[in-house]
Amino acid sequence: MPFYRLIKNLLPLLLLTACATVPAPPLDYHQGAVLDTLSSAVSLSIRAADSSMSGTGYLLFRRPDQIHLVVLSPFGTTMMEAFALGDRITLVYPSKSTAYVGRFDELPEKGGLQGWRLMRWVMDADTSGKKQQNGTVERMDKLGFSEKVTFENGVVTAKESSAGDQVHYSNYSVVNGVPVAAELNLRNDRGDRIRILLDEPEVNTPLEDAVFTPNLDGLTVVPLSVFKGL
Amino acid sequence: MISKMTSNVFSRVRRVNVFQQVLFLLLALLLTTSTCYARTISPVEGLEALRRGFTGITDFTADITQEKKLSLMKRTMVMNGSISFKKPDLFFMEINPPFSSRMLLRDNIIEQAAGNDKTPARIALPPEHGLKQWFLKLASPIKSLPDGVAVQADLTNSVYTMTITPTGKGQVKDIAIVFLGDGTIKRLVINERNGDRATMILKKVRRNVGLTEKDFRL
Repeated sequence: MPFYRLIKNLLPLLLLTACATVPAPPLDYHQGAVLDTLSSAVSLSIRAADSSMSGTGYLLFRRPDQIHLVVLSPFGTTMMEAFALGDRITLVYPSKSTAYVGRFDELPEKGGLQGWRLMRWVMDADTSGKKQQNGTVERMDKLGFSEKVTFENGVVTAKESSAGDQVHYSNYSVVNGVPVAAELNLRNDRGDRIRILLDEPEVNTPLEDAVFTPNLDGLTVVPLSVFKGL
Repeated sequence: MISKMTSNVFSRVRRVNVFQQVLFLLLALLLTTSTCYARTISPVEGLEALRRGFTGITDFTADITQEKKLSLMKRTMVMNGSISFKKPDLFFMEINPPFSSRMLLRDNIIEQAAGNDKTPARIALPPEHGLKQWFLKLASPIKSLPDGVAVQADLTNSVYTMTITPTGKGQVKDIAIVFLGDGTIKRLVINERNGDRATMILKKVRRNVGLTEKDFRL
């Protein structure tokens, strides 16, 4: 009977202990390793005050600012492709045989697309270079704007721009020696939210120029200023 | 001695006979299983077979594997999930993690949610693209080829393969549908003009299982 009582009292304690959060071990990455290219299947969710969309697709990135994003329809066909280089963006809608070409600042105010102008800033998330670094620092970003960056064991877990844009990085794993966050949550100063989940990312594999160049053959090319939204 | 030799000879002959028989049976088996009774059928016959098969279905569910091959990449994205359909206008698709998403098509209204999203995105298609309209078109027998498409069809061992090629310069180069005479769709392949290919393979298809409205909620 005392044994039964002991078990009875200990069991909840054991269960509680088992449920306690165990801190993840620090990532074993190569110090100084940087992400030059990334290609990954992605799951996307865009939520703005006036509209929202979600889907799956493919993301290709090459440092410092080349991005190619493919968004798929539920049946797997290509719904939209976005190509970004510097401050230029091309949106291709194969179903409309139309490409919209222009600058990021010409994207419509509504529809959550303004968040995409931050993609270069989001992708710029190198480690601090010190594996023990924890806490938040204020610094100038690569474009010369002020930002607050939070590190945990040397990897970036959050950033905030001086304009109030925020991005959180989580579910890190090490790919090819480089720490890669599998979940990115972006919230811009307008309150638009973009969530990107990466699946089986490939890091620093060579990517040909062609993958960042939109093929506009047979498409009607119009200025981005006439684009009405997603 | 002679009898022993004779016995060995007979034994060898028997072994050769057995070997020949096995070989013959194996060849026969291979020939039987690999025989394809493929015949080209007319486009209208193919379309009508699909339409007729589908008239016997009120609803169905299936597990799916969706593959997307991007022309620019060597990699193929593979997604698994399930679909449900109920006549005349309800279609539900759920994709499993890591690409978790749910989509409900109710006639011409698409609702879509990713992951744990509680508020789905809502898209209204033009009414003429609604499911009801499509099924109205399928109500009567197909006697001629619809405008704007070229169709190739063949029938191989009770499996129909139909390739529909839109004649315009739109996104879709062609769509191939593999189906059985009872309307069970086995595979859908969409080739896009940019070289991408989307394939949907249907498995464990269950027909007429009595789905209700409750089965079509995000």
